[in-house]
Parts: sequence; C-alpha cells; structure tokens
Amino acid sequence: MRENDQADPADAIEASGVSKCYGDVWALEPLDLVIRRGEFFGLLGHNGSGKTTTLHLFSTLVRPTAGRIRVVGYDVTREPVAVRRAIGLVFQESALDRTLTVEENLRLAGALYQLPSRVVSERINQLLSLFELGDRRGMAVAKLSGGMRRAVDIARGVLHQPEILFLDEPTIGLDVLNRRAIWRFLDGLRKDHGVTIVLSTHYLEEAASCDRAAFLKAGRVIGQGQPQRLIAALGAYILELETDSPSKHATLFHPQLGTPIVEGDRLLFRIKDGDFSIGDLDRKLRAEVKGWHLRHPDLNDVYVWLNRGGLLPTSGEDKNHVAPHLRDH
Amino acid sequence: MWRPIFAIIERELKRMLRQRGRLVSAMVRPLIWLLVIGTGFQSLMAGTGGGDYKVFLIPGLLCMVLLFGAMLASLSLVYDKESGVMRMLIIAPFPRYWIILARTTSAAIVAMVQALMLLLVLALLGYRTAPDSVGLFLLALVIPAFVCASLGMLIAVFSKTLENFAVIMNFVIFPMFFVSGALYPLQLLPPVLKTLALINPFSYGVDLMKHALAAGGSYAPDFTVAWDLAAMGTFILIAMTVAALRFSQSAWLEKLARVLSNPRRG
Repeated sequence: MRENDQADPADAIEASGVSKCYGDVWALEPLDLVIRRGEFFGLLGHNGSGKTTTLHLFSTLVRPTAGRIRVVGYDVTREPVAVRRAIGLVFQESALDRTLTVEENLRLAGALYQLPSRVVSERINQLLSLFELGDRRGMAVAKLSGGMRRAVDIARGVLHQPEILFLDEPTIGLDVLNRRAIWRFLDGLRKDHGVTIVLSTHYLEEAASCDRAAFLKAGRVIGQGQPQRLIAALGAYILELETDSPSKHATLFHPQLGTPIVEGDRLLFRIKDGDFSIGDLDRKLRAEVKGWHLRHPDLNDVYVWLNRGGLLPTSGEDKNHVAPHLRDH
Repeated sequence: MWRPIFAIIERELKRMLRQRGRLVSAMVRPLIWLLVIGTGFQSLMAGTGGGDYKVFLIPGLLCMVLLFGAMLASLSLVYDKESGVMRMLIIAPFPRYWIILARTTSAAIVAMVQALMLLLVLALLGYRTAPDSVGLFLLALVIPAFVCASLGMLIAVFSKTLENFAVIMNFVIFPMFFVSGALYPLQLLPPVLKTLALINPFSYGVDLMKHALAAGGSYAPDFTVAWDLAAMGTFILIAMTVAALRFSQSAWLEKLARVLSNPRRG
C-alpha cells in the first residue's frame, strides 16, 4: 500500500532522522537523505564508516533504531516485502551458489521473484550476452574468474528489473577491464531504463560520475553534494609538496599558501585562485623541498579535507544541493 | 508462494545429487548396520527363538536415513549463513519465515528421496520391504522426515557456528536414534530410557514405520497410528513455529545480514 501523507513520487528514497545502534555502538547517527528517482548516488567513506549499514537500512535487512525510511513510497519497517520487490542488491560478497551453474543461479533468482520462466530465459540471454558470458551459462560458478562472477552477480541483482539498484563496493578486487565493463553496464541501466543506482565505494574516482554523493565518517555524513561542485568548491588546484620536515615547511609556506593538510611526508595545499602560477615560489620550492606537484583536485582531495574537518564553504547556492533534506515538503 | 519454495527445493535436490560422496555414505551407513550389526545380533538371538532381527531392523534403518538425511540438510543452514544463497534469499520479496518453510521442506524431501533409494537397494539385496498400505507408508516417510528436518532447523537457527557439529552428532542425532525403538522394542527398555524414548519425537516415526511395514510378531509397534501422528504433528508445529519466529527476529536477522556482508571483516 502506498503512503499518501507526504510521499513525493519523484523520490526513490526518503530517509528522515534515521539512526542505527548495535548494542551501544552507533553505526549510524541521525541521517536525513533524499535520493531522487533516476539519480546515481554515491555513499563514500572508509570501511566501517556506515556505508553498508545505510544500504542495509534502505534494503530492509536492518531495522532503523529511530527515524523512518521510505523506498519508492513504501515504509521499510511496515512494508518490507514491497520494498524488496522494488529493489535489487549486489553485496560485496557474491550472492551466488558456487555449486550451481551460471544459468541455474539466475533461474533460481528469477523464481525467487516469481518471474515467469519465459521472461527469465529472455533476460538471462540478454544479460549474459551483454557481459559476454553467453558461453559460460552451463559452467559452475565456482569455476568462474572473479570478474565474471561479479558480472553474474550483477546480472542476478537486475534480473527482476528493480527500480533501485544498491551496489555495495561492486568493483572491489576487480581489475580495470572488468571494472570498466561493469561501469558500462551500469551506465546503460541508468540511461536506458532510468534505474536509480545507490553505490557504496571507497574507490572515490568511481564516484566522480555520480549525480550526488554523501561522505560518511564514523556513522555521520560529513559532507554531501554534486561531486563536480564539491571538487570546484575545494579549489582550482592542489599543490602537493614532498618533504622531510613537514611541520617546518607547513609553517614556511603558510603565508603564501595557507594551512596545508599533512599526510605523512606530504603537504597538500588547496589553491583557490584559478590563475595561480608557481612563478615566484619556484626558487623557494627548489631550495627547500624534495619535490612538488601541481594538479587539479579530485574527490579524494574532497574526502581528505572533509575528513580532517577542514570543511568546505557552504554558500547559499550550495544549500539546495548539499543539504537536500532541508528542502520544504 | 509456491514458485520460490519449489525453486529452493529444486536447488537442494540438485545439490544432493551433486554431492555423490554424501549420498553414497547415506546409503552405506544403514547397510553397515543391517549387514554387520544386524547379522551379529541375529546370531546372538538365534538361541532365544526370537523372530528375524534383520526384518525388525529395517523400519528403524529407513528412519535412520530420514534422521541423518533431514538433520544434515537442515543443519546446512548454518553453513549457508555465510554463503551466497542466503544473501539471495534474505533480499527476495517474501516474508523471512518462507525461508524456514522452504528449507525444512527441502530437507525433508532430500531425506525421503534417500529413504526411497535405500528401499530400492534393500529390494536389490533381496529384503522384502513392500509395504502393505502405500498410503500409510508414505505417511511414515513424510511425517518423520518433517520431524527430523524441523528439529534440525530448530538447532540451526539457534547455533552460531557448526564448530559444535560433532556435539550435535553425538548428543542429538545418535541418542535420538539409539533411544527410539529402532534397534529394540521399547517395552524391553528400563524405565529411565523408556521415558526418554517417549519424549523423543523420533520414536514415533520409527513406530509409524513399523506400522507401515507391518513388521509383526514380537516386534510389533508400541503405539497406535493416531498417537504417532498426533505426537509428531505437535512436535513439527512447535518446532517450526519457534524456528520461524527466531529466524524472523530482527536482532537475529541483523547479525545474519552483517555476517553476510563482511564475512572477512568479522
């Protein structure tokens, strides 16, 4: 049954005040999040930051300690079966039976969603040919390579054509070719079928193409927004210095470059000025440090700054995008 | 509701047929009892003028196959807690207790297939085991198979790991078999063991099988068919309800979800 009160049909997921506590450990502190239909959303952070817990809450595997979550309009605690029918979930670890063949696994998955077997056959053909696994359908899953197994696992997750696909570290442990193949497939799902994709990853470069991303740390959202905006807000360049005495050089370059982030023997300076040139600093750098590198920032830098509490400026323009939960209903 | 449950049963049967070693040992175990222990006891009793001990043993051995087959299949749920298929099941769009229903049913079916295979082997070896009433015989396969499968499921949902598998084998499966009337008539047991046998739901399965195979003479069944059915029906109902409730408990499921998500991180 659909909730009528304030469910916005354009919202795929609506979480308000959601928290999760295991015993006396807070796995997730109150979270407010809205994910729009068709959006590609990234949950980013280290292991143990709360990404998996969040995915579990959204996919009814775990009940929230407080707050409410609606997934395509259904309440996760009151209508979990309806939620599960609308979603697909690809776990970090394979959800396949290693003793069964590729086709048997996919048929089992189809039966669990009560799909007619003719439909299952069609979709299996389609999916396996997309992943170029047509000739492996009779092979036991145990004999597949890691990349193939992950591809079959993703095929399993989308066989019932879910409205929302949750991916928990989908490309972990895969080589570049396999990762690219998987991303091509997921792009197709979004563009051709309008599937909402919620991704958790710690490969931040993979999240750069997300429509929006939230950074998690110890169960708290430490920042969210559009990746390109977040990167732009960080600065025009990052100047990386390699040095033997980080604290000395941090002080030395402070007047020109501001406060750096210290990472081992590296100093990272944000440079906001788009016209910045090493120019005058060149001589001083040559004299003082082992090496330097001027580059454009990426999401890893955003995470580094967020993580160290050097929070981004929040302009009025950002508020709509950075904190969508503040939006009026 | 049926399609997912059939699919889970189908998977279980495929696995059974692929694990040949397990299947062969399931056949060999009762045959050892019949040919070695049965023969030994029979010669021991030859002087006392009793009936044919091997004929007496056959209902018990069929039930033994049900007991081992169903318990092992049910207990594999504990392995599945860390396996891929459990991930597929817990995110499938049906209530969680269906998983328990399907897994119990499939364990019972696996056990029944094994018992029927044993029956075939026995026939090939020349033991006349054709039941007088096919209906009663089927009942004597199905109901005890569900008793064993639901007991296995009950243990599976309460045990964290199968490190204690040997413990279950030694302290549950073997005692259930020994104190059941499978090897000797219950009337001959001393009061303490007899009381244990009366509590043991498996005793009623053996008894029902004795009815079905009409092993007459001095080895007659101990209870009536109705009593056997009532006792086992009650047990199945209680065991399944408790197992399903336990499995649907959110705290338990959360632990399961976490194990399934990060088996390596622990």
